[in-house]
Amino acid sequence: MRGRVAVSVLIVGATLAAASCRSGQSLTNAGIDRKPTPTTASTVPGQTTVPPTTLPRKLDSLPPCDVSKLDTAAASGPVNITFWHGLSNELGRELERLTALYNSSQTKVKVNLEFQGGYEQTIDKYLQSNAENRPDMVQMPEYMVQQMIDTKSIVPTQACAESAKYDTSPFLPQALGAYATEGVQWSMPFNMSVPVLYFLKPRLTAAGLDPNKPPRSLEELLSASKQIVSSGAAAYSISLDSDFDGGGGWYIEQWLSKGGEFYADNENGRAAPATKVLYDGAPGVKLLSYLQSLITQGGGVYVGDNASGQDTLFKLADATKPAAMTIATSAALGPVLSILGGGVIPGITNPDVGVGFMPGPNNGAGALVGGASLYIVDGKGGEKAAAAWDFITFLESAANQSAWAAATGYVPVRQDALDLDPIKSLYISDPRFKVAYDQLASSMPGPTSQGPVIGPLKQVRRATAAAVADVLSGGDPQTALSKAAQNANDLITNYNAQNP
Amino acid sequence: MKRKWRDSGLAALMLGPSAVILVLFVIYPLIKAMWLGQQRCGVTSCTNSGLRQYVDAFRSNEFQDSLIVTAKYALITVPIGLVLGVGLAVLADKYMRGVGLFRTIFSSTVATSVAVASVMWFFLLNPSVGVLAEWIGGRAKTPGLLQSPGLALWAVSASSIWANLGFTFIVVTAGLQGVPKDLYESAFVDGAGGFRRFTNVTLPMISPTLLFASVVLTTRAFQSFGEIDLLTAGGPKGETTTLTYLAYGSGLPTSNDDGLRATVSVLLFFVLLILALVQFRGLEKRVHYGN
Repeated sequence: MRGRVAVSVLIVGATLAAASCRSGQSLTNAGIDRKPTPTTASTVPGQTTVPPTTLPRKLDSLPPCDVSKLDTAAASGPVNITFWHGLSNELGRELERLTALYNSSQTKVKVNLEFQGGYEQTIDKYLQSNAENRPDMVQMPEYMVQQMIDTKSIVPTQACAESAKYDTSPFLPQALGAYATEGVQWSMPFNMSVPVLYFLKPRLTAAGLDPNKPPRSLEELLSASKQIVSSGAAAYSISLDSDFDGGGGWYIEQWLSKGGEFYADNENGRAAPATKVLYDGAPGVKLLSYLQSLITQGGGVYVGDNASGQDTLFKLADATKPAAMTIATSAALGPVLSILGGGVIPGITNPDVGVGFMPGPNNGAGALVGGASLYIVDGKGGEKAAAAWDFITFLESAANQSAWAAATGYVPVRQDALDLDPIKSLYISDPRFKVAYDQLASSMPGPTSQGPVIGPLKQVRRATAAAVADVLSGGDPQTALSKAAQNANDLITNYNAQNP
Repeated sequence: MKRKWRDSGLAALMLGPSAVILVLFVIYPLIKAMWLGQQRCGVTSCTNSGLRQYVDAFRSNEFQDSLIVTAKYALITVPIGLVLGVGLAVLADKYMRGVGLFRTIFSSTVATSVAVASVMWFFLLNPSVGVLAEWIGGRAKTPGLLQSPGLALWAVSASSIWANLGFTFIVVTAGLQGVPKDLYESAFVDGAGGFRRFTNVTLPMISPTLLFASVVLTTRAFQSFGEIDLLTAGGPKGETTTLTYLAYGSGLPTSNDDGLRATVSVLLFFVLLILALVQFRGLEKRVHYGN
């Protein structure tokens, strides 16, 4: 009997607690003694709280790299290094092929490739490993730059490049710049992709549009959209999503960059660590209002959070109510074409697919690099760092970048790769694969052409994704963005406090 | 007395292995998680904020929202899953030709992993290329069941109920086979119809099985991660962010903060503990153990 009373009390207590004790605070602030930062609409884009300094060089205070140590160490047998990566399927197999080629082409270094299951698993395992258990080299996705810096566990690749007098001039400046902050090149770009416009040529033709001149500016996109729907060429003009890796997060960064706007303060966190986001200012509101108008006036369709990453593309293949265009990563082009080649989708064939610049301000020129980069891990001995650098230069050679890009659909990281087969002939035989490269190479010079570097960038993207989801279902852009910015600023403040 | 001591040595020897495993793989991780749950972690180090982190986390918007989502999810999946499971088991509890085939079909989902079931349902419900979406039409087409606020949780529940049906079916079938046939016969002689026999004989006799199945299904509902991750990734608008997804989902405030993940996990543990207590204590006296 007493037991039953105790249980009843427990139930009542738990229910009361669950029902009445909502604090109105975010989980982000749990256990932290600090009021959340007040929302202030940022009006001064690009303001710098810490002026960028050039002297003394930050690089000199970071772990050094002496590439000559490899030769010394290799005199007594090959240097073994472990490389953690997150590439699966065809991508992983091509990396395995290149690694085997490297291992058999020389005797100084032996690379032991370890697939971790994906980017997220690689991140978790790396962050939870201590210095002893870490690999000698690791691949990390683009949003990890600030966290990797804050682990204080990496040898900046710039140190190795300077020691080796490595020539970085053939590299796309956009590719290198993506992984540089405060004047330091932290890692080397490896697999790169950018968002592009996918469209079905017959539907554009049916709407009286030229499929060889897809819309480039936001105005063109809206008018083309109206034309597609009013002509009856397709049920919907464009499918939009609020995926934080897509339309809800990554694309917002792309659009702001194309428009020459900063996403976060301190020059997108590249002059000094970012302290707050700036996207809730006028340009961000204008952008989200525009996206809303694509739905309300332009006959666009909102497909939701795109949890699978394929919902926007599937909308083009809809049997009864299809869309004519969508925006997706250039890395999807290979899979899309091979699925269509299999004849799975009735009525759509490989040549029907068109690719264009992701429409945006500045005629859609420019893009921010997605994908991942290669980091050298510190504390394993100078010869290991030198060996990792040697392997990186192999993967980044023009010939191997040409092969890598052709096999995977990624954008080559260097310009001279384009002069070599197989990518040279692929870009001639199917120019759709070259669109991503051209768009990336067309970035206008300036600090806004490099994307935001923020510790909790992925969570910040999730905050903007909630705003985009809200706006695409009819919400008010300024309200949604202010809320997103407050969440993001909480995340950034907490991150900066925990990672001094 | 002497004998007792001799026995306890043997007992220790026999219990030792399981005790070691229990301590190593259950008790130590639990204590470690409880300790970790009081820390907020950056990429290299953690700072201790004490027990208030549990209180703060419990009261936070995200946790409260997820708690409600999880409760809803359990309230949808457990009763419907039980009713369907019992229904199918009763249907298949007959001695007739070909019933083995139906038993195989009804229990087949137990051999389907969450991932396979989720991918299957993802394609059935996909608003653009899904067969089910095309049949249902309306909001299943635009924006899609898994994409509609208000419907997404039901759609995920459908997948989960389907995937768990095989388990419930097998457990209940086993329970039904333990019901003595003479009880039905005497009920029949007493003039009880089919429905009376079901409510007055079958249900009381399989009530321990039902209690067991409901506890397992509730626990599964509270721990479901795979279907959420694969079908909705917690969306739309966080409406399918269950507690387990909140603890591990990508891009959430918990990601890359092991402390906060532990906080949410430990809170989930206590929620489940209370729930299991309530279920056992509350339902126990309604359960007939057969004497």
